Amino acid sequence: MRYAKAVLTAVILLATITSLCVQSGQKAEREKVVVGVIGPMSLPEGMAEEKAVKLAAEEINAQGGILGYPIEVVVGDTKLDSNTASTEFRRLATIENADVIIGGFSSGVMLTMMETMAETKTLFLADASSPAHAKKVAENYERYKYWFRVTQNNGSTFALDLADMVKFLKVSGYDASKVYIIRDEHVWTDPVVEALKPLLEAEGVEIVKDVRVPRGYSEYEQLIQDAESMDADLIMPILAIAGTGDILAKQWATLKPNLLLAGHDLAAIDAEFYNKTNGMANYEIFIADGGALVTAPPTEKCKEFVEAYKKKYGHYPESHQAYGAYDAVYLYKMAVEMAAKAGEKDPFDPDVLVKYLEKFDASNPAELTRPIAFYKNHDLMWGDKYVRNWISQWQDGKQYIIYPDSVANGEFKLPPWIEK
Amino acid sequence: MKISTLFAALLILISAALPLVIPEAYLYLIGLTYLFAIIVISWDLMVGYTGQVNLGHTTFVGLGAYIAALLQTPLRIGIAVHPAVAIIVGGLAAALVGFVIGVITLRLRGYYFSLVTAILPLVFMQTVFIWRDVFGGEEGFSIAGYALFDTTLSKYYFALILLLVSLAAMLKIVRSRIGLRLMAVRDSEELAESIGIDTTRYKVLAFVLSSFFAGIAGAAIVNYRYTVGPELYDIPLMLLVILSAVLGGLGTIYGPLIGAIVIYLAKNWWLRDLISMASLPINDEIVLYAILIAVGILMPRGFFHELQDRLKH
Amino acid sequence: MIDVLLKIIVFGAVVGGIWGLVASGFSLIFGVSRILNFAHGAAFVCSAYVAFMLISSGVNVYASILAGLAVSGLLGILVYSLTRPVRKNEVMVIIVTLALALLIQQILLVNFGDRGISIIPLVKGVVELNNLKVTNMRVTSFILAVVSLVSLDLVISKTSIGKRILATSQDSEAAMLIGIDVERIFILVMVLSSILAGFAGILYAQIFAISPETSLRALIYAFAIVILGGLGSLRGSIVSSFIVGYILVVTITFLGARWSEFVMLLAIVTILVVKPTGLFGVEE
Repeated sequence: MRYAKAVLTAVILLATITSLCVQSGQKAEREKVVVGVIGPMSLPEGMAEEKAVKLAAEEINAQGGILGYPIEVVVGDTKLDSNTASTEFRRLATIENADVIIGGFSSGVMLTMMETMAETKTLFLADASSPAHAKKVAENYERYKYWFRVTQNNGSTFALDLADMVKFLKVSGYDASKVYIIRDEHVWTDPVVEALKPLLEAEGVEIVKDVRVPRGYSEYEQLIQDAESMDADLIMPILAIAGTGDILAKQWATLKPNLLLAGHDLAAIDAEFYNKTNGMANYEIFIADGGALVTAPPTEKCKEFVEAYKKKYGHYPESHQAYGAYDAVYLYKMAVEMAAKAGEKDPFDPDVLVKYLEKFDASNPAELTRPIAFYKNHDLMWGDKYVRNWISQWQDGKQYIIYPDSVANGEFKLPPWIEK
Repeated sequence: MKISTLFAALLILISAALPLVIPEAYLYLIGLTYLFAIIVISWDLMVGYTGQVNLGHTTFVGLGAYIAALLQTPLRIGIAVHPAVAIIVGGLAAALVGFVIGVITLRLRGYYFSLVTAILPLVFMQTVFIWRDVFGGEEGFSIAGYALFDTTLSKYYFALILLLVSLAAMLKIVRSRIGLRLMAVRDSEELAESIGIDTTRYKVLAFVLSSFFAGIAGAAIVNYRYTVGPELYDIPLMLLVILSAVLGGLGTIYGPLIGAIVIYLAKNWWLRDLISMASLPINDEIVLYAILIAVGILMPRGFFHELQDRLKH
Repeated sequence: MIDVLLKIIVFGAVVGGIWGLVASGFSLIFGVSRILNFAHGAAFVCSAYVAFMLISSGVNVYASILAGLAVSGLLGILVYSLTRPVRKNEVMVIIVTLALALLIQQILLVNFGDRGISIIPLVKGVVELNNLKVTNMRVTSFILAVVSLVSLDLVISKTSIGKRILATSQDSEAAMLIGIDVERIFILVMVLSSILAGFAGILYAQIFAISPETSLRALIYAFAIVILGGLGSLRGSIVSSFIVGYILVVTITFLGARWSEFVMLLAIVTILVVKPTGLFGVEE
């Protein structure tokens, strides 16, 4: 008997929950375009995505929406958890009836969301950089074709950027013939280093050591001295997950070894990085993931976007995910309008839109905050004329792109303590 | 027939009828909630009934998940067994690891068990990163195409049935002589020993059973969402389990069950909207942890016990 | 070979010293009040965040650090008051302090983001020992840590307040009977230990950097160390923090950085299997 009442409460509880969610679900005549944005909403990456999508929607709505329909933005939070992400994606796709979902972030969460995307057949203009995602599209096109990588290049293209960086340094008078790699203990760095090896070999550059560090690793001073004792010319970080690139920069600046710090460090892209390291990030060379920097916007549209963002939110984009999310809304609009112009019966049908998005190929990039084009596997096209990870340097509190020349707004500076 | 049985039957009927009224996306979430509830009640089986705080329950969730996933898809280690077999093997493997760890740590009284189990999931998570060719590293891997079910509806019923079976099994255990002895151990180890109960043996037994169900739940989650990843080992999941069980009331099975359902749905559903309405610089986790502290101090026996007491008087 | 040995000795010592500050307090709290303080890592990071915040807004560096330490001390009082009503309930003590730790971590995450912050080293420059560069900040930290640990040990073993602390940790009821205000001892130990952890955090933020996640990391190190040293044994934790420091550095040197965490955790588990009471612990 005493359990009975408890069970009764449970029933009431369940019934309330049930009644809460019965209202939605039916598909009506189109009155609006629903754009879903999904990401880790307590982290800068997710917040930037949400803000950028809302900004783009506002701009588009002010100009009459997409084919006359206003955009409504709905938000999902992955909390960086695969269970939550798949639930939220499903909610956006089937309850909110999102016509397109934008965002993502984090490879594992993305992998799970791609399954939900395939089940719900939702167009997904995505972030995250793992090669595994595009591989799925290539292997099972019909199932995963709704996925396009918009925000940043496939992680393995870092190899091309890093090789170019070494070449560029050589041209600028810093001959880095011995490279000491410090990278994440993570699947994403494997294809990078694999592709990088032959590229560096062709340049006559030797990888003297390849060190993998776990998440949260902090003892870089030992590695820096190890690199110095091996006569390395530069330490090349390939760090995103470790989350401690700031410690590496700090310890490098403190020890002042006779070698450069140049590579990919996700933390260094953050505009606050200089302050958070008390200026010790000075002279660090990094790779601007996502193809845009606040201090050096590559296109006119990007310049406008960055300023509009600042005007609306009081600060510049907190992460590079903002560019991709903003572009994704416009890209979607372009694809829908192309489909409508071509006389498609339902220009919002995801299966139809996939065809039109694929039209943005090497010969026909979409000129947005960055020029966007796709490969056959829906991966974001890499190159000087498309999106690439610009080689940049921190100089006295400011980020400068130093290569390639077409977008560079600064010159490479050698740290004063280095003698070569 | 007792009224409680009637209510239980009614509740099961409602759960079974939910797909008729609830849209698919929420159904998916509720199914996932059932699987989460298995983890929570299995934690209660150990913690609520023996008084030993297991801080590494996710070790077994993750183990079950990875082992089932590896066995199911031929793409990783070249083995492809039937998903049902993989799930059971996942549970057994978790139970085996639980046995080994239990034998080592439960001999000692006090906090050693908590300290060791707190470290365990971190050790297992490291294995995922270090042997990433097998486990897929931070990214995990997908078993799409080799999972047990492929529609949300069938997955939902699978989760529901699995929950009911696990619940029935665990209730059976705690109401049996084993359950009584476990509670004797919890309430006073000295007394239990003096009446001839081998306390270590019973604690290990509870730990093994608890690990088994956690492993099964982990394996089922993989079949539910098609991917496996290291977050199944991770601390946030562990905390959500603790939160649900404590709010519900330890040592009652029903309490943690209700706690699990309420907390999981709240966290994944309406809590965020509620908080964003308040527009404070907080997130849902802050709210949940604050509630946990408050409940821990004000009603350490949990809502379920509180409710029982109120109803009795 | 000498180079390698020197490197191991120097780096291991610094890491050991900092974690020793965290672990000794953790151990002391447990010894005296039988509270397993999961919020100890929060004291470690909070001081650094407070100091960072004040320094960035232009406050004097030393004043900022003192303020940071004060906040850590307040956190100790908070832990004391939250655990007081549930002290007898082992399960709830773990859960309440754990929830507090995560609450603080989330608050930091929401307000400062997940990327690290660091405090500019108070001591600049590098000394060179036989080709090995060691930053002066590391040397200073090591000295400060050792001085703090030694004085802590002296206070506990030599002074009258220390004797009262010892008496309470051996048997709090008996201590009460001989007229010791046990509650005051509890508060004192909580505050003192939290300040020690906060001090470690300040040092850590100068050599490395601190992010919200560091609080869990500090807690896990403290765990590992007290397990190794034996629960409640102050000297045990001091000695074993250096052992853990050396395990870490030796692993990095000979096996590679990727193994550092794994080997340390595995070593702890192994020690527990072989000698579950730790090196200096006594079975309860």
